[in-house]
Amino acid sequence: MKRVRALFRRIKLYIQITQMKPIARRYFIKNGFDGSMTLLGIIVGSWVVGVTKPEIIVTAGLGACLAMGLSGLFGAYMTERAERTRHLKTLEATMLTDLSSSVLSDASDFVSVYAAFVDGASPILTAVISLIPFILTLTGTFVIWDAYIVSFILTLGTLFCLGLYLGRIAKENMLLYGGITLAVGVLTVVIALLLGAI
Amino acid sequence: MIKRLVLDVLKPHNPSVVELSESLSHLEGVEGVNVIIYEIDQQVENVKIIIAGSHIDFESIKKKLTEMGATIHSVDEVAAGKRIVEEVRTPQDKSARM
Repeated sequence: MKRVRALFRRIKLYIQITQMKPIARRYFIKNGFDGSMTLLGIIVGSWVVGVTKPEIIVTAGLGACLAMGLSGLFGAYMTERAERTRHLKTLEATMLTDLSSSVLSDASDFVSVYAAFVDGASPILTAVISLIPFILTLTGTFVIWDAYIVSFILTLGTLFCLGLYLGRIAKENMLLYGGITLAVGVLTVVIALLLGAI
Repeated sequence: MIKRLVLDVLKPHNPSVVELSESLSHLEGVEGVNVIIYEIDQQVENVKIIIAGSHIDFESIKKKLTEMGATIHSVDEVAAGKRIVEEVRTPQDKSARM
């Protein structure tokens, strides 16, 4: 228990040193939003062409999840690592000291992995929410057309919640932010439906 | 045994003085820590660290400071022994002649 507490204290210190909290928040919202919007696109597209087999949507959705997850994981890791290494080297040059054995070096390594995890996991999380009704259709709980409706509601709900969270971060009207992200989702649906009608 | 230590230290902005002082205060033999920033630059800051305790281990202080990314510029005061001996003014001191 003492070791776990020490580990958490260490992680907290790393996040404080690198001021990672707002960066991780940004990664989470941005990629979470991407995850939801990508799945919304897949689902609306499938609706327009009349896909009746849930396995097609689930497979396409999980494929998109995997691609977004891996892209986020490696993209964020490489970006964050490059930025942190640069910062550490600048600091070493300023201080004329080797900081490789300092907590700053450990913190840089840790936050690169932390950023990669947040960036990789957030689109998977939001995308899987949209896929749940179709996964349940595979088990026979839902009819495919009901799954579409429930998935639309869940996806737009996720976008709305991300907006609410953004509003909370900005300490402004949460409903306004929620409304904006919801409107972006609705706009995507409308455009996709119009394109399908042509 | 060292009872008081005054150090001139160069450190990055992060870990902050809060984290630095807390980590120093957790060391064995340390009873109190005072960290004062007296100069701030773009990347780094100069701080004066005053450590008081019953048996301060200078090596562990140095190790902790290195771990926190800080470097000791100079050791400005050391008080060791059974009791702390305060600085006294002598006629040779510039301030005493004024």
